[in-house]
Amino acid sequence: MARGGKVFAFFSTVAVFILLEIAAVSLLKRSSTLQDIWINRFSHNVMAATWGGITRIGTYFSLREQNDILAGRNYELYKELQRYKEMEKAVQAMAKLDSVNFKSRFKFVPAEITAMGTNSRHNYIIIDKGSEDGVIPQSAIITPNGVVGMVYSVDRHYSYGLTLLNERVSVSARIGRNGMVAPLTWDGTGTDHAILKDIPMHLEVPVGDTVLTSGISNVYPADIPLGVTQGSRLIDGSVNVVDVKLFVDFKALRYVIVAENPDREFIRKMEE
Amino acid sequence: MKNYRFILLCVVLIVAQVFLVNFFSLSRWVVISLLPAIILMLPLKMGHISSMLLAFLIGFVVDFFGNGMLGLTSIALVPVALSRFFVYGMVFGDEMSSRADVISISRLGVLRITLASLLMCGLYFLVYVWVDSAGTVPFWPAFLRFFLSVLVGTPVSVLVSKLLRPE
Repeated sequence: MARGGKVFAFFSTVAVFILLEIAAVSLLKRSSTLQDIWINRFSHNVMAATWGGITRIGTYFSLREQNDILAGRNYELYKELQRYKEMEKAVQAMAKLDSVNFKSRFKFVPAEITAMGTNSRHNYIIIDKGSEDGVIPQSAIITPNGVVGMVYSVDRHYSYGLTLLNERVSVSARIGRNGMVAPLTWDGTGTDHAILKDIPMHLEVPVGDTVLTSGISNVYPADIPLGVTQGSRLIDGSVNVVDVKLFVDFKALRYVIVAENPDREFIRKMEE
Repeated sequence: MKNYRFILLCVVLIVAQVFLVNFFSLSRWVVISLLPAIILMLPLKMGHISSMLLAFLIGFVVDFFGNGMLGLTSIALVPVALSRFFVYGMVFGDEMSSRADVISISRLGVLRITLASLLMCGLYFLVYVWVDSAGTVPFWPAFLRFFLSVLVGTPVSVLVSKLLRPE
């Protein structure tokens, strides 16, 4: 009881003190303009500090939510950055190809893959560039790491193509820069594996040689790296088949380059 | 009888304070006030709330009859009344304040009364000079005014204490 009485006395003393000070301040505000302005400014500062403090406390407790939002934005920015990096690589590779070997022969159009299959024996690819972008059928679809496939048909804004992982697609390849030429096809055993067919029995193909596009075809530019040789085996007792480990990782592809040979029709007519 | 004398002297001192404010302004650097001494010498049986109410009333009367700003003295004097028992406990000891005895120089000595007056005047002039300046006076001139006022006000308070409680 005595303790309760002391607490009551303490709070009542504080309350009376505050009331008397407020009364005195009110009197002072009425009697002096200078003090009135000063007290108003002081009270405004106190109010601003109080509201600022309350806001800071609220902000502190909402930090977790802000962190989640920032993490989400960070993830989106990371994805966008990766996309730009890949695009930059594709554009750089395209510029390199354009400036060194194929300036006069091929035109290049960067494209993004819209859809692609890798699970059947006749895999396809759909890209986001069509006839309005200058893409025509039988253009090559490549990346800096190798051949992806060939455009089969085009729409105004999209193109449909066959990938190298399709038994109907064949690429004219050369083993090494001055080696022999042979068709490269997919044998259906894996997305990172193809074969060079029709290699004469008497020719030795070392393991680890680079396989490149030959450039003999009207479709694919020359000297695009395709993969490395892994060994050879005899087929039907008459020809060798060379196993090739492909450079292109089809499962991770997102951007490609469409390489179009504008002289292809002219060359075809000459062949006829 | 002693109480009547004390009350009468308090009234006289308040009137004297009004005269001081109106007619005996020494300098803009020095404020003379007899009021902290009156609050210091109030009977110990008078509690916090009564002391503060009395301090407010005295301040109001002085400001009302003086040419000062109404409320200024009350603002400074009420905290002095609030801190009265704290100063007693610090300077005179807890035993003194719990015996509900009167305070006088003859009982407690000049030194302790001077120290208590110094604390009370310090608090009073601190608030008074701060509010009177209203943020328009730089720190050092305001501090000089506060310092000089305390320097003059403390011995004046000791004299007023002697006058109020001569026994």
